[in-house]
Amino acid sequence: MNNEEMKNKLKEFFMSDLGVDGSVLNFDTPLFGDEIGLDSVDSLEIISFVDENFGVSMTGVGKDPFQSIDTIAAFIESHKA
Amino acid sequence: MTSTDCRCVVSGLGVICAIGNNVEETWKNALNSVSGIYKTTSLDTKDCYADLAAEVKCDSLDDLDNPDEKDRASKLCIKAAKEALHDANLGDFADSERVSVIIGSCVGGVLSIEKYHRHGKNAIDIPKMPIGAIASQVAESCRAGGLVTNIGNACAAGTISIALACDLIRKGKADVVIAGGADSFASVPYSGFLSLHALDENGCSPFNRCTGITLGEGAGVVIVESYEHAQKRGAKQYCEVLGSGVTSDANHITAPREDGLCLMEAMNRAVKNSGIKKSDVGYLNAHGTGTSKNDNSEINAFHKFFDEENPTLSVSSTKVMTGHCLGAAGAVEAVFSIKALTTNTVLPTLHYSAEDSEAFKARAGQMDYVQNTPRSKELNCVMSNNVAFGGTNASIIFSKNPGDVKSQVAKDKKIAVTGLGIVNPLGNSKPAYLDAVKNGAKPSSASVQSSITEVDYKELGIKMAFYRKLDNLGQLQCVSGMRALQDANFTVTQENAMQMGIIVGTSEGGLGATYDFEELIAEGGNAKGSAFKFPHTVYNAAGGYLSILTGLKGYGVTITTGPNSGLDSIGYSMNVIHDGQQDAMMATGTDENIPIITELCQKLGVAADKVVAPYSESNGFVVGDGSVSMILESEDYAKARGAKVYCYALGYGNGRKNVKFGKVAGSDEALDKAINAALKDAGVTIDEIDGICGFANGLKVIDDIEKNSYARVFGAKLAKMPVFQVKERTGEGRAASATLAASEAALMLSGELAENDAYFIENGNVSKKNISTIGLKKILVTAFATGGSYSAVVLAK
Repeated sequence: MNNEEMKNKLKEFFMSDLGVDGSVLNFDTPLFGDEIGLDSVDSLEIISFVDENFGVSMTGVGKDPFQSIDTIAAFIESHKA
Repeated sequence: MTSTDCRCVVSGLGVICAIGNNVEETWKNALNSVSGIYKTTSLDTKDCYADLAAEVKCDSLDDLDNPDEKDRASKLCIKAAKEALHDANLGDFADSERVSVIIGSCVGGVLSIEKYHRHGKNAIDIPKMPIGAIASQVAESCRAGGLVTNIGNACAAGTISIALACDLIRKGKADVVIAGGADSFASVPYSGFLSLHALDENGCSPFNRCTGITLGEGAGVVIVESYEHAQKRGAKQYCEVLGSGVTSDANHITAPREDGLCLMEAMNRAVKNSGIKKSDVGYLNAHGTGTSKNDNSEINAFHKFFDEENPTLSVSSTKVMTGHCLGAAGAVEAVFSIKALTTNTVLPTLHYSAEDSEAFKARAGQMDYVQNTPRSKELNCVMSNNVAFGGTNASIIFSKNPGDVKSQVAKDKKIAVTGLGIVNPLGNSKPAYLDAVKNGAKPSSASVQSSITEVDYKELGIKMAFYRKLDNLGQLQCVSGMRALQDANFTVTQENAMQMGIIVGTSEGGLGATYDFEELIAEGGNAKGSAFKFPHTVYNAAGGYLSILTGLKGYGVTITTGPNSGLDSIGYSMNVIHDGQQDAMMATGTDENIPIITELCQKLGVAADKVVAPYSESNGFVVGDGSVSMILESEDYAKARGAKVYCYALGYGNGRKNVKFGKVAGSDEALDKAINAALKDAGVTIDEIDGICGFANGLKVIDDIEKNSYARVFGAKLAKMPVFQVKERTGEGRAASATLAASEAALMLSGELAENDAYFIENGNVSKKNISTIGLKKILVTAFATGGSYSAVVLAK
């Protein structure tokens, strides 16, 4: 899976599992901003999804990698086995 | 001092939990610092990082009538109730309306949901699923014939049930209330807390390591009795129950507020309503779940609330012994609190090492966090606190002395209806509903649903960051609640946020979401639960979301009995205002119709296969849904802010004739009782009632009960009495239909609905015609629940 596909897969997950409206979600949209309002419960879901689909653990990594789909994808890229 | 008629005493105790199957055994083990936490053997723990639980070990749970018809939660509760009744020297109540049952629960019949889903989808498991089954089956087991309801406020439900029991007695509506809570350990909550990473793999360690909870199960029951009744029959009196406080965080669906603001307000209300000083509290049985968020919030709140006047207060969490028993927690902990009070013993939090104790000193300050072993301490008052998902905080005081409880301090205040929010399959606003009535709208099929869209959110200014988190029930609730506030022209501000509370009535509440979650983990295993979906399984999630959205921080309770809960929300709201607890209340009824709900109705054989009308003598009803919210305010509060008034709420009443939960046949006379009780409460006679908003849905057995009861109560007057039926338009929306019936009455009394289709019942025959509603001055509203409970409210111009 290339980087673009990975980001699209993450976006689809945000839409299907976290109720995010895809029309306002770009790869660089701030997830913690007013529009998306990511919180700790969402983070847990993202961690499970990333672990299951990309084999990368994001447990205990802090807030930084969750800033946007871009930063999540970058974290996955740099931690892939 | 508390006046004699306001005194409530505890005359019996019953408990079953991981450290004992009765009070004696449980208390002995508590004094011996026994923990009931072990590796679970009852659930699949594959790939799960935590496998501990505090489970009940009891082989006599099936020693009751018809065990196949009861979920484990009901069995646990009936066992505890039997012990408490025996302890109180009470037994069969022969359907006396002076005896009520109020039981709290979080996940209720979740094991029956699992059984239905995984083992053949048998209809027999369906009536066992909703929380509402528990109180109803407890009532059936001892034939309690008063108000019977369940509290759905998750982990605070047990405490709220005892608080509500006292409110009922002080209002003069009951002599004896069987109050408590029950929940069983099951895959859904286990998997849910795993998904939230909220379980402690090493067993919970509240006010110490604070790295998570351990789930427990069980039931606690407290017999709350009016002092006068207890005195008259020479009953044992453990202690007094003084005041309580219930508030909402308006912050987050699972996490408590870090600043503990609304927990402090709950404690403040409990102390104030008790007429005691903070320094009178000798021991505090804290919620103390063991999660860092909960414990930090509590530790902060206790310091801020007690440090000045009661710095050395003794505090502990008994959850290391019992695990977190969810909806039973408050009830089990009430039993501990009462035993602690009456034996002058403070119970410990277990499992502190010497290093732990040292490390905790700085956080504890001067406060006495009792550790490892119980201790003697002369006690006058004990406080028990519980908090819950949805942001609920509850605090209650047990005392050796009568305190200075004031009740019904605002009972002379007229209560005005000032706002309506209507969501149902015909539309999502009051104008849409008025149009639908005008156009003679009917359900479009035998199963109809409301549809919330972005248009609603946009109109109400609800952001995607918020609404994306809502499940279907939460969507319905939030839109109707916001519409009601808007209609009442009520703007929530920092100043008034604590002045308005919310009571949500629901029949099935989070049952649908629980079923969804069960489907998820049945397929993927308990390690594959969803943190996003789990919060929706609790019945008070919808009310919690509404509180977060609106910012309302006052009283917040979710009640669940059946469809009548949508009317009881109005009755209880009136009581909260008359008690002087709140100036304004939002009373709401909400139920959903997602595919599983229609499937369950079909399996039970009560869903019609085509559109049917009320009084059509059909063998089913149209399955509907909706959420209807009504703003109630004391007249002076409404006038002061220049609110328009639809009508006034004059009185409410309940009636009960015990039949099996899931059935109604044979309970007819209870509707007569409910109507008469409401008329009496309202101070009006049958001659003053000009119309009825009823609950007929087309199912013959329901409609016959209604027709026959009206004939008995109103006699010859019935032939000229217009009877309005909202379900001819929206289908059976359970609690939403009950609140809609009340709202339709409000619309007619205010003149906004000047013409309406009315049924006329004469000698059992029904005719229908369109009439002018302009002359109607007082309208009776009625609702039913299976198990034999009925409710009625009187609204007037």
